[in-house]
Amino acid sequence: MKRRAALLLRLACFLVLVAIPASAKETVKLAFIGPLTGGNSAIGLGGRNSADLAVKLRNADPTAKYQYELVVLDDECKPDTGVQVATKAAADRTIIAGVTHYCSVVAMATVDTFHRLALPTIVWGAVLPDITYGHSYKEIHRVNGTMVNQNETAAKLMLAQGFRRWVVIHDTTDYGKGHNKYFTQFVTAGGGQVLGTFGVTADQQDFTAELTQAKARNPEVIFFGGLTPIGVRIRAQMDKLGLAAQFQGTSGIVSDDFIKGLGPLAEGVVAFREGGPAEKLPGGKFFLEKYAEQKYANSPEAYGPFAFAAASLLMDTIEKVGPDRKKVLSALGEVKGKDSIVGTITFDDHGQNTVAAITAYVVQDGKWVVWQDSEYASGRRKLKGR
Amino acid sequence: MTAARARVRSALATLVLAVPCTLLLYGFLAAESEGKVALVLAGATLAAALGWRTGLLGWAVRASGQGGLALGFALSGLALVAAFHEDPFVLLLLARALIALVACLGLHVQLADAGVPNFAGAAFFGVGGYTAAVLGKGALPHAVVLLACGALAAAVGSVLLLPLLRTRGHYAALITIAFGLLFRTFFEVNESLGGPQGLKLGGLEVLGFHFNDDRHVLGLEWSGYAFYALAALALALAALSLVRRLERSWLGLALDAVRLDETAAACFGVEVARWKIGAFTLGNALIGVAGGLSAMMVGFIAPNNFTFQESLVLVSILLLGGLGNLAGLAVATLIVVCLPEKLQPIQEYRYLLFSVLVVLVLVLRPAGLVRRTARRSFGSAAA
Amino acid sequence: MDLLAQYLMNGVMLGLMYALVALGFTLFFGVLNVIQFAHGDVLTAGAFAGLAGYALVVRAGVQASLPQLLTVVLAATLSMAVLGAVLGRTLVLPLKGAPALNVLLATLMGGTALRECIRLFYPGGSQPQRFPALLPSTAWALGRFTLRLDNLLMLAAGMALVLGVSLLLQRTRTGLAIRAVAQDEETARTMGIDFRRVVLFTFALGSALAAFAGVMNGLYYNEVNFGSGLLLGVIGFSAAVVGGLGSLSGAVLGGFLFAGLQTLGAVVMPFASAYKDVFAFGMVILLLAWKPTGLIGEPLGERV
Repeated sequence: MKRRAALLLRLACFLVLVAIPASAKETVKLAFIGPLTGGNSAIGLGGRNSADLAVKLRNADPTAKYQYELVVLDDECKPDTGVQVATKAAADRTIIAGVTHYCSVVAMATVDTFHRLALPTIVWGAVLPDITYGHSYKEIHRVNGTMVNQNETAAKLMLAQGFRRWVVIHDTTDYGKGHNKYFTQFVTAGGGQVLGTFGVTADQQDFTAELTQAKARNPEVIFFGGLTPIGVRIRAQMDKLGLAAQFQGTSGIVSDDFIKGLGPLAEGVVAFREGGPAEKLPGGKFFLEKYAEQKYANSPEAYGPFAFAAASLLMDTIEKVGPDRKKVLSALGEVKGKDSIVGTITFDDHGQNTVAAITAYVVQDGKWVVWQDSEYASGRRKLKGR
Repeated sequence: MTAARARVRSALATLVLAVPCTLLLYGFLAAESEGKVALVLAGATLAAALGWRTGLLGWAVRASGQGGLALGFALSGLALVAAFHEDPFVLLLLARALIALVACLGLHVQLADAGVPNFAGAAFFGVGGYTAAVLGKGALPHAVVLLACGALAAAVGSVLLLPLLRTRGHYAALITIAFGLLFRTFFEVNESLGGPQGLKLGGLEVLGFHFNDDRHVLGLEWSGYAFYALAALALALAALSLVRRLERSWLGLALDAVRLDETAAACFGVEVARWKIGAFTLGNALIGVAGGLSAMMVGFIAPNNFTFQESLVLVSILLLGGLGNLAGLAVATLIVVCLPEKLQPIQEYRYLLFSVLVVLVLVLRPAGLVRRTARRSFGSAAA
Repeated sequence: MDLLAQYLMNGVMLGLMYALVALGFTLFFGVLNVIQFAHGDVLTAGAFAGLAGYALVVRAGVQASLPQLLTVVLAATLSMAVLGAVLGRTLVLPLKGAPALNVLLATLMGGTALRECIRLFYPGGSQPQRFPALLPSTAWALGRFTLRLDNLLMLAAGMALVLGVSLLLQRTRTGLAIRAVAQDEETARTMGIDFRRVVLFTFALGSALAAFAGVMNGLYYNEVNFGSGLLLGVIGFSAAVVGGLGSLSGAVLGGFLFAGLQTLGAVVMPFASAYKDVFAFGMVILLLAWKPTGLIGEPLGERV
């Protein structure tokens, strides 16, 4: 018995010795932060999987200098939790950089933390301009675009469809308020009219009061600036109150959960997102194929490609300058015209990637379809009231 | 001669208590894997059981006396801050536990001393936080701002005094619950104070000393959070000795009478309302100061930090530790605040485990971790 | 005028839900003098049980909405009746005689455990779940007021339920036993009433009512999420307290009063629904300061 144990021990030692050279590469940690639980978790999980995919592909590459490890943290789309996990990631000296945040509320709250603890980060989904433009911190970068362009395109497209009268409902976080501000600005400049504006809280359940008042103003479109969970509630309760206006959302509702939560009621809902559609970009196909190979439980969703691009960019940088926060930071400041699956990345002096492309989506038969390819654009189906 | 000997004995007893406690805490905070945390916890349980069985624990507590216990607490805290001087996350955790302890002491005065329920602890914590956010930007010295946090929390609490005094039992509990919900909804919809987005705060600054900055002191690189941990330690010590003194004085005796039997107390000429008002106000002030310091340390507050759930956690800590027992309170606070952070895999299950634990304790061991010690008669307290 | 009708309809629907929840609180308080604060989460669990029942019958191939609806209601109410009795047996009865605070905290934490279980263990429970629309969606537009058949049906069913409970209490032997226990436990025991059975039956009844309110809530909003019971529970409790704990009509009155306050807050104040909960809870605190034992509650004597 004893001898057998000794033998096993020796075998184990041997195995350990053999295994070491195989992972002799230095391990470098990256943080991923996003909403993994709660109403926006579908997008968070899609982002996590995409970043995970980037790490896996890199680790499978024999020419990579380092072994990468993704530390995944959940911000629950709540600013307080976000600050907590951001502190955790940034205080951990073994973490070199972060792929951070989908929710603008959270991203706004954590910029100070990252700056204070000097962690270079790339935002993968939050769209509020102030996240990069509201300060002069060098630590914060962003691969996706801001909501300014998004609303400009949104206003143009909807005005071109002949809509003139809007009621705006937005959540009262900076995200919703920002959308309200920019959309109202662009749509009134283009000759549209905003008949009423309602701010609602992010966990409100009952919208009958707002919708009853909105209905009294007889709008053609309900513009909603907010995220999926309350988007679903508002659309559903519009139906209950017999409010038959067109429903228009922002990037916050471009998720599969929005359609799942509404069923047939989602049909014809319009929303906008910055960046080109993944299927149409050169690297997008490659990404989607690899993603499918991994058999993740969730789809990459609208922002997965950005998380992939952010993680890849960070790893490229680390390969070049080594796992050192300061060096990574200064190298990120010089990123110009770098190819990625979401198009070329160029950071301006605020760390903002200048993406011009905006994609319009419409729900058609239970799927988000790019507007130009949809039957709504070709005239075979009609938006509400057209 | 005997005085000197007594002093030596007290110092020795303090060491006997503080050294193992500090070592265990160090091990707990430094442990990074779940296995190590479990090991430390097992060690702590073993040490406590051993100390209890051999009578060493009881002797040490008695022999150290009040001053010795406070000194031991302070030294232990200082040693821990020094040991983790450049590890911001551990320091943050330590500071959070100490701040929570201050808030729980506030609740302790209300609930354990005067018997006034408060299910809106998180709301008063929030009043402190928002006060710090608004006043902290102005020209006021931050030490004054912290006091203002307490004052404002007490002032807001005074709105509830009339309904609280007129009601009792479930009705009184409902008033605080309704207030807690009202508070959070109010800050959620009121955009002038940040709304759901929350507010950012600059760090604490006292006499030109910025707590946020990392700096070199005594040849070591100290994280900014070390200074917050020290501030929290000082605050916790002050609150502990305040509550302790209060309980050992005639004021505490009057509060006991109010809690145990209002009618009897009133018959003996104790003005029930006055004592309840005093305890509720003092408690809220402590919670408010804690909330202010916490907000300045984290640098950010939002209505979501101050949910009903958080209020429940605070009250539960009191019952877990054993209502009325300060030592139990301190241990329970430490466990409830730090354990979920240490055990990553249970992070998602923390509320579930926590709630089940509280229910089990309430059903099986209603007195909590450590039983309330009976008040010894005056005069023999030093024995 | 038509807008007013719309507000009234919205308010009445909410009021009925609150009243159903408040009934449970008042029943429990009547027989045992305790607050069972897991009640709101029992409501959520009921809605989820109904949802699970729906998923089962759909898988079994049942297409018609009437049998689907019946399954949902039965799955919700029966399972919650059992759960309510179990909660009463394990959480509330053992704490009989403990300080009121302990029972309050134990049931609050029991509710938290229930809520967390739904979030963690129901498939996709952390996300809002779509609740199927099982009632006919016929609607009549009367100016700017939309009258929906499903709302009317729910209203009728809820009212019938409230009436049924009151008949049960007033006209049956079980009801008599419940009232006897509520009045004086010891006397009731000496009269040969099985105290424990009466208490557990009351818990089952109250919890089934909450489950029904949960299904109603699901049908009304077409959505349930694990947290929806928390606020509803507190509102139901407020309604019961404002109406006067232990009084059946007080609970119903309190429910509609609370909904009325909320609607008033939404209509009168310029911010739509933003401040309606602040307003409603503020009013509850004021009401209690004015009438410390609720509107209909009997003045509590001091027992020395």
